[in-house]
Amino acid sequence: MESTAAITQSTTRTESRRGKLWRIAAIARNAFREAVRDRVLYNLVLFVLLLTGASVFIGELSGGQERKVIVDLGLSAMLLFGVFIAIFVGVGLVYKEIERRTIYAVFSKPVGRGEFLVGKYLGLCLTLLVNVLVMGVGVSLALLYVSRGWDPLIPTIWPAVLLIYMELMLLTATALLFSSFSSPALSALLTFMVFIIGHFSADLKNLADSLGSSGARWLFTGLYYLLPNLANYSFITPAAHGRPPALEFIFGTALYAFVYIAVILAAATLVFGRRNFK
Amino acid sequence: MTMNDRTRTIALGLVVVIGMTCAALLVRRLDTLRPPADPNAIDEGLYVNGKMARRLSLGFNGLAADWYWMRSLQYVGRKIMNSEDMEIDRLSDLNLKLLAPLLDTATELDPQFQEPYQYAAVVLPAIDVNEAIRITKKGIEANPNAWRLYHHLGYIYWRQRNYQAASDMYGRGAQIEGAREWMHAMKAKMAADGGSRETAREIYTRLYEQATEEIIKETAHNRLLQLDSLDQRDSLRKLFAAYQARTGKCPNSWKEIEPVLRALRVAVDASGAPLDPSGAPYVLRAGVCEVDLDPNSKIPKK
Repeated sequence: MESTAAITQSTTRTESRRGKLWRIAAIARNAFREAVRDRVLYNLVLFVLLLTGASVFIGELSGGQERKVIVDLGLSAMLLFGVFIAIFVGVGLVYKEIERRTIYAVFSKPVGRGEFLVGKYLGLCLTLLVNVLVMGVGVSLALLYVSRGWDPLIPTIWPAVLLIYMELMLLTATALLFSSFSSPALSALLTFMVFIIGHFSADLKNLADSLGSSGARWLFTGLYYLLPNLANYSFITPAAHGRPPALEFIFGTALYAFVYIAVILAAATLVFGRRNFK
Repeated sequence: MTMNDRTRTIALGLVVVIGMTCAALLVRRLDTLRPPADPNAIDEGLYVNGKMARRLSLGFNGLAADWYWMRSLQYVGRKIMNSEDMEIDRLSDLNLKLLAPLLDTATELDPQFQEPYQYAAVVLPAIDVNEAIRITKKGIEANPNAWRLYHHLGYIYWRQRNYQAASDMYGRGAQIEGAREWMHAMKAKMAADGGSRETAREIYTRLYEQATEEIIKETAHNRLLQLDSLDQRDSLRKLFAAYQARTGKCPNSWKEIEPVLRALRVAVDASGAPLDPSGAPYVLRAGVCEVDLDPNSKIPKK
């Protein structure tokens, strides 16, 4: 009798988990559709124009370094466009729903606030994935064009593309966290500051090491570990020299991104869960 | 779409097209009215040094390095274009004081970027040899396995006639995995006969083969032509000596030795003067058995 109850309980839990995943997927799909409807992917047109121009004209300006310049330019543009999308679309994910009052319709259904946030987050991540993949293909095609055939740099740019995508996922989560409690403008500003400080993380550590006062040293060491270390995701320059990161490094950064994103989303859910929409 | 809508669309389209044309014409007019740009602006110092630029680049350091690299090329190119009859080997006359900081910043932003090091080794010694050595040494520190950088530093030492240091550099480079076989030969040549024309030919041939940048290729090519010309002038002096031995005097015009030159299949112009490797006629110093380059010749004089 007891075992039947346990089975029933376990089945209910599995169904509930499946239902949760189903709802998150539905919200993510919707967020992706919304981004496409908002013409977020139009930035790809600009990217293609930039790369085409670079492929045709950069040879004359770079003294035979067009392959390096194309990789640097392509991957930097991928990161920059991605950062803008992550910040400006990310901060509006929740705010727009509140502004349009559609959030009431969502929460009138059996959707948890955490599910809503994670769904929104995954939807934007999907948009960024499409963006990054198309841009990666664009850079590869530009390399094929300038090399008049296969280019050994093509396989080495993809690990760097993966790291850029992870950085964008981290930033999107950060934007979502800020937007869960503050206005879009402030959230965008704060996220952009995190992006900048994240790339200065090595300086934070050096600063901590060089400070005499133990309090200040603790503060900067704390900040170094607390803020996302985005410098680990900067592999554009080595990729342009045909040096991909080691597999162990990629796994390490992926694990770091996963843990950090989980922490941010949990914090965002905590804050968002306490928010009063009345 | 109603008639009114269509008319409005056409009118607005016309405003866009005509407005843009007017704006472009106005810009052209304003360009002529503006006072001329300060010619010294091109040499205005860099506000941000390499280390600071690296900090500020936020992961875009590769792209920033490319920008500084292209700016270096534009800087030299513009200076060459602005000066009349500039010989590519006389860059010291161009006052290229920004070149070293530009190359230094490019290599600080991307220490693995090899081209600026090569540029620093070949072009910079004419302006500031100590900076050229410093930047190339910095490159070796950042890329200890890049044998080409040893070749570049060896080249700078060789230009300074410091053959032992050049030999050491080629020797160190030769030991690196993947280094070309000729690095060993260069080490021996530098030590045994660093000042010879044969060594110079070897070094410029390698430089020409390795270069991707036009100005470096052109420099190496011109130096190879100069070596050919030096060989040709030595041969001509031998001919003068033979002529003097036969007639008791030095030739007063090329016509006097033209049959010999033709028999030796030396290219000559209508006046019978032999042509240097750039196609300019040599100048005979009448009565003294000496030959010079034509002032308009493309062959480097020094």
